[in-house]
Amino acid sequence: MINFSKHAGFNLSRRHRAEQRFQWAGRFAILISLAFLVIMLGSIFRDASGVMRQSQIAVAVDLGPEAIDAADIANISFGKILKSAMRARFPDVMKRKDKKRLYNLVSPEASFEIKRQLTNDPALFGRVQTLWLTASDDLDLYLRGKIDTSLPENQRQISDAQIAWIKDLKQAGQIRRVVNWNFLTNGDSREPEIAGILSALVGSLFSLAVCFSLSFPIGIGAAIFLEEFAPTNRITSLIEVNINNLAAVPSIVFGLLGLSIFLGYFGLPRSSPLVGGMVLALMTLPTIIIAARAALKSVPPSFKQAALALGATPVQAVFHHVLPAALPGMLTGAIVGMAQALGETAPLLMIGMVAFIVDVPQSILEPATALPVQIFLWADSPERAFTEKTAAAIIVLLVLLIAMNLSVILLRRKLEQRF
Amino acid sequence: MKHIAPIRFGRVGVFVNGKITPMADQMLILTQTIRPKWLDRLVIALLAAAACVAILVTAGIVLSLVFETLQFFNKVPVMDFLFGLDWSPQTAIRADQVGAGGSFGAIPLINGTFLISAIAMAVATPLGLTSAVYLSEYATKRTRDWIKPTLEILAGIPTVVYGFFAALTVAPFIRMTGGQFGLEIASESALAAGIVMGIMILPLISSLSGDVINAVPQSLRDASYGLGATHSETIRRVVLPAALPGIAGSLLLAASRAIGETMIVLMAAGMAAKLTANPLEAVTTITVQIVALLTGDQEFDSAKTLSAFALGLLLFALTLCLNVIALGIVRKYREHYD
Amino acid sequence: MTVRLMTSAAAALLVLAAPATARDQINIVGSSTVFPFSTTVAERFGKSTEFKTPIVESTGSGGGLKLFCAGVGVDTPDITNASRRIKPSEVALCAENGVTDIVEAMIGFDGIVFANSIASAQIELTLRDIFLALAKDVPTIDGTTQPNPYVTWDQINPDLPSVRIEVLGPPPTSGTRDAFAELAMEGGCKSFDWVRALKTSDKPVYKSLCHTIREDGAYIEAGENDNLIVQKLKANKDAFGIFGYSFLEQNGDLVQGALINGVAPEFDDIADGNYPIARSLYFYVKKAHVGVVPGIRAFLSEFISEDAWGEDGYLADKGLIPLGQGAQENWADRITGLKLLEM
Repeated sequence: MINFSKHAGFNLSRRHRAEQRFQWAGRFAILISLAFLVIMLGSIFRDASGVMRQSQIAVAVDLGPEAIDAADIANISFGKILKSAMRARFPDVMKRKDKKRLYNLVSPEASFEIKRQLTNDPALFGRVQTLWLTASDDLDLYLRGKIDTSLPENQRQISDAQIAWIKDLKQAGQIRRVVNWNFLTNGDSREPEIAGILSALVGSLFSLAVCFSLSFPIGIGAAIFLEEFAPTNRITSLIEVNINNLAAVPSIVFGLLGLSIFLGYFGLPRSSPLVGGMVLALMTLPTIIIAARAALKSVPPSFKQAALALGATPVQAVFHHVLPAALPGMLTGAIVGMAQALGETAPLLMIGMVAFIVDVPQSILEPATALPVQIFLWADSPERAFTEKTAAAIIVLLVLLIAMNLSVILLRRKLEQRF
Repeated sequence: MKHIAPIRFGRVGVFVNGKITPMADQMLILTQTIRPKWLDRLVIALLAAAACVAILVTAGIVLSLVFETLQFFNKVPVMDFLFGLDWSPQTAIRADQVGAGGSFGAIPLINGTFLISAIAMAVATPLGLTSAVYLSEYATKRTRDWIKPTLEILAGIPTVVYGFFAALTVAPFIRMTGGQFGLEIASESALAAGIVMGIMILPLISSLSGDVINAVPQSLRDASYGLGATHSETIRRVVLPAALPGIAGSLLLAASRAIGETMIVLMAAGMAAKLTANPLEAVTTITVQIVALLTGDQEFDSAKTLSAFALGLLLFALTLCLNVIALGIVRKYREHYD
Repeated sequence: MTVRLMTSAAAALLVLAAPATARDQINIVGSSTVFPFSTTVAERFGKSTEFKTPIVESTGSGGGLKLFCAGVGVDTPDITNASRRIKPSEVALCAENGVTDIVEAMIGFDGIVFANSIASAQIELTLRDIFLALAKDVPTIDGTTQPNPYVTWDQINPDLPSVRIEVLGPPPTSGTRDAFAELAMEGGCKSFDWVRALKTSDKPVYKSLCHTIREDGAYIEAGENDNLIVQKLKANKDAFGIFGYSFLEQNGDLVQGALINGVAPEFDDIADGNYPIARSLYFYVKKAHVGVVPGIRAFLSEFISEDAWGEDGYLADKGLIPLGQGAQENWADRITGLKLLEM
């Protein structure tokens, strides 16, 4: 405590200067943290800018009766049709290598796009149709000036001949750039131009839902027990130390646990968001318990005592008076835990969620991946165009995170008060 | 100071906010002797069960590690593992050479783990605590409501992003700065990884400590002001000591997260296990090695892969010791206020 | 609270009671090096057939084989990718768990390049230069060894630049590292006559001399993310990096591969076997699952179609170096005939 007889009235200006310094230190700390956040977000947004739009090429595809049999869509080789359409557009391309370069202007997905457009609209059959098809990732990068054409030909992804064709197509108005909704509606793909985030997003949502519905009630229950009801004995301190210790267990070890218990012993389906959520729940449990206990500790004991004095049972006193007062702090713990669960890759590795999964999962039992896994896999892919997909996936993850945070802010605002 | 607490959730509760009167004390004893109803007992049992989940998880972890660990100790002597000064799993690359030489010494990994975590805590603790104090004590409610969740975004950025940031922005910057002072700094350094990790765990400290500081009873502050203390003196000498257990909890949690983090270290500090206290050199951590060993291409029954399990168990034991010590310290210095 | 706890417990119990159902989707695990190729085939397979797109996990070769060898049944994977051949001890463990019938498939080569930033000059190395730069102990002419004394490249060979040796490469847990040690390091190591003689007289000593990479900071274990290595090379023009050919191909505007023994790491030279550091990639099929899990046969024939692994196939576009014509036919026969693995 301050020795007032010595200090009162003395050195007041010095103490006020110290006060100012203290406040500035606080502002400075916040500014530094915010600056880091801005730098990180800035670099992510800069990289992600390319994902907004994608390039398409107009190709005149021969769907006439002599080229294909409309009755038998399943057995039509759309790849062949597409190739001959490209050759027809540039008839002077003769050499095999050059032909291959020509075909590579359109995405490998394009032949499937023709098939889909035909199935949706059979009226297209019968004559030559001009269809807009997705262009390859390299063409897209070139159009956006991401490929340095001053380099020698063998050092870049797009050859001089291809550049000439692109210029020709552009002049003829056969190249356009459209808003890239595919990124939000497609599943994963090995072709960057059509790769999308939906399957990972849904997988993450499923896992988080499982994780939250397990870890929040269990975590808060454990915290209430330890803080309010547990007798002070060795077992309680054992549990307490144990929970703190779990917080330091590397996340991949929880994956090992999930592998041997949930998959091995209970036989739950591999790669499923159910198991992912359960593993993440175990991982976030310590965070939630520790935060919830801190929140409970900070509720003045007088709340409980007054309730008890008025005849409430201990359970009533805790649930009706202590818990509501501690809820904002508990929510903070929950949100920090969920943020951690949302960004975690390592435990999912052991239970099969670090995987290439194209189909969007329909339930928590179907194979799924998660956003951080998708980010990790894309960041590890050789194709240059995946760099921006990675950044865009990070933005999707952050948007989800911010949405979660916002809902907690609103709740916390409603509940928070100072005693 | 006496507050009349508001009506909460439809139930009337008039609380006297201050010291417990002797009479209230007696009533407390009285109500506690009344046997709770069966429902109450059920609730308490359920709560106890929830607390026991934590024990089950620990048991599960130990069980899922111990089998492979024993296999590992069949191949490599326990003493070599615990006290060896050389971690170099490359000599055991083939089945016929397993265990040749003391290349599974965990000491450099423990050293690296603590070095990087210490750097991270050295960055995160001052920044996090001062942010927390400022936000809960000085900032307006409006500012707090927006800055706090904004900072929490830092905790949610995927660690891959931090890894790239550490490896491609921070590490070259450190290298360049060091070069101007004539220091030869490796492109992979504990410092780069530690600093970036510090930023990542910052919101754990600032958010959780902020809540705890916020919850210190206003009466304590008012009493301190009443005695003539300035705001900052009140915070340093009254509020922070009162919030100590909660703050310690948040620091412990942040440290745990730092010890358990993989990606940043993997990308920015490399994987060379060096026994050094110099933050400018490349080091590696136990967690990084566990992940690398479990996802590697080597035979799955080789000592190399099995060592991952032993490392997991070792880390478990180490953090357990740290937690016991930390708990003891907190118990000793915690102060009870109302 | 109580209600929520109980409902979640009930939900968990219900789920636990649900029986494991049969699988209608191929499950592939294994090496992260084969992952980009395996997924490409899986995606095309899913789009062009009525079968579901297989799930491909990236677990590392060792982890993949562990899962693969865990037993027969729908809860184990059907195929595992590997960036090295299966080891006898793994075959034995497989057999112990009832996985006796394994079909081996070699799918192509992966070139390992030794690259630096294009801001520096392209260099030409021999395997011996590489070995001398990276070995922990280097042999001397008179038949002894000494700890690696070389600090700069020009100390090894006066033609090389006078910059500090700094090489970013994979960690010892990586198959790329294993292959690099076997092909590049050992290749250079053998160029000393007395060491080559050692191979027959004392193999363990020979191997540990030839395969052990220095740990004094000149070789930096940089993890398995090859994009990161490329970015680090861009930031540090004096450093070299070791990574897979497909990353060189995609980043030709940032990095260039060194000529090894006079050969540049180019597609045709790797395919013809002129480039000395190339390893084979494999996958293994559990024969007992063929016919049980639908689509395995169709998946295999998609993989070995000319469109996929052919010289101009889409796998070549992704950076997989095809097997030669004859080898390809030979392997195609073995794969379609589901010929069992022989060690």
